[in-house]
Amino acid sequence: MGFSFVAVPLFYAQEPTAITLSQQVKDLFRRMANAVVKIHGVDEHCEIAGTGFFIDPTGTLYTAYTVGGEADNFTIEFNGKKYPARQLLADIRSGTAILKIDAVTPALPIGKSEELEVATPVVSIGYPLDLPKTPSFGMVAGFDRKYLGRYFSTTHLRLNLPTQRGEAGAPLLNMKGEVVGIVVSSLENNSSCYAVPIEAAEKIRSDFVRFGEARHGWVGINVSEAPAPVEGSRAEMTEIMEATPAANSGVKPGDILLQVGRTKVTQPEDVLDASFYITAGDTVPITVVRDGKKLTFNVQAEIHPASERRPLIASPTINRAIPLKLDSEGRRTP
Amino acid sequence: MDELNDNEIARLLRLKRYEQPPPGYFENFLHEFHRRQRDELLRQPLWRICWERAHDFMFRLDVRSLASYPAAVAAVLVCAAVISLKIYQEPQASNVALQSPSALSEAANSDGEWTLASPVATRIFRTQPLRSLDQSAQTHTRGRGIPPRYVLDSVPVSYVSSFRF
Repeated sequence: MGFSFVAVPLFYAQEPTAITLSQQVKDLFRRMANAVVKIHGVDEHCEIAGTGFFIDPTGTLYTAYTVGGEADNFTIEFNGKKYPARQLLADIRSGTAILKIDAVTPALPIGKSEELEVATPVVSIGYPLDLPKTPSFGMVAGFDRKYLGRYFSTTHLRLNLPTQRGEAGAPLLNMKGEVVGIVVSSLENNSSCYAVPIEAAEKIRSDFVRFGEARHGWVGINVSEAPAPVEGSRAEMTEIMEATPAANSGVKPGDILLQVGRTKVTQPEDVLDASFYITAGDTVPITVVRDGKKLTFNVQAEIHPASERRPLIASPTINRAIPLKLDSEGRRTP
Repeated sequence: MDELNDNEIARLLRLKRYEQPPPGYFENFLHEFHRRQRDELLRQPLWRICWERAHDFMFRLDVRSLASYPAAVAAVLVCAAVISLKIYQEPQASNVALQSPSALSEAANSDGEWTLASPVATRIFRTQPLRSLDQSAQTHTRGRGIPPRYVLDSVPVSYVSSFRF
């Protein structure tokens, strides 16, 4: 009897919540699906198929590097027609690529992945296999900096959201319909996936708009874990590389790193996100602790050595992105 | 006939000592023997000869030995039947091969129904696959017949090797 008094109100309380959630997902899919497209391309092995989405009304679209990075002869299925697409940029360090078609298109609004928390509901829209456009509903499972013992170039969003092959490049939407990430890979049983935060893709797009290429910057500092925290940070500078911007900036080995630009640093892994958003040519304020004193040095970042060796921008006709061959491990951006 | 004594027998033997058969007698002896044997047989009517042969065959026939090899007998019968059928069908196959391709396509019954008007011996079986490549392309292949690689890698591509910036 007591159970009935408790369970019945709970049942009626949960049912409208589920209906509301379902209605929200339906509404998102109805409003946003038109800006999600299927991408066909041809790489050195075979034809590939993936997903992408428009980010402006002039036909610019984001997708994953694995879809738009190392293929060519792109074709976009949009509004029942096929449009040839060209590659504007392919950046393996962010895991994204930018393509463009010559058409007036809808565009998805860009949100902020910083507002996400664990268990925040999210929706993705993609093209699984040869099936039509499909929504998937899930939630944020974590914010990972490394997977299988290797560090990402920037924090990735881990999502408990089912994905299938063909959905690489799909937009990750918050419940307001804003893009907060790009699906880049699945986890083992396809019930979870990783997404690059949309800020990473926006950084690359910003570089492209400013310089016509991705300009990953660096200053030449190697960081390791300090034996004891200082001012709340365990990130100790262990090496200042020669012939780098940091060499003559005033920073010294043994300094404890507190902040890079606007990013606070408390442990060595924090350097990943701090450095990812450095653009070559920009002046980066670096705050350290030395002998108990806080010091700030302004260092002008140079282009990252990996970017210098291989330009990350690709011409419209020839994909000059870093090749990823099956017979050898792909080159990674340091 | 008078009995011959030993002396008379000895005298006859002495006389026979120098008698010789004509030349070629021993070379033709076997041939002459068979000829005379056949001549002796042909003195009987034909039906009698056949009867005697059949009679001898039945008596020589060992029925038990035949019964101990029923499988062998059956196998021989089946082989004989198959060979006879094959020999019977070969001329039809050659007839089909002589037809023109257009005749072949016309003879192939598109709806695949058996009719009394199309006897088995003249029926041509359809050789096209059940599903054409174009049909299967709707579900499994696209474009050049090879399904595309639907992209979603199991690991992200963006890695760094150290905490350098």
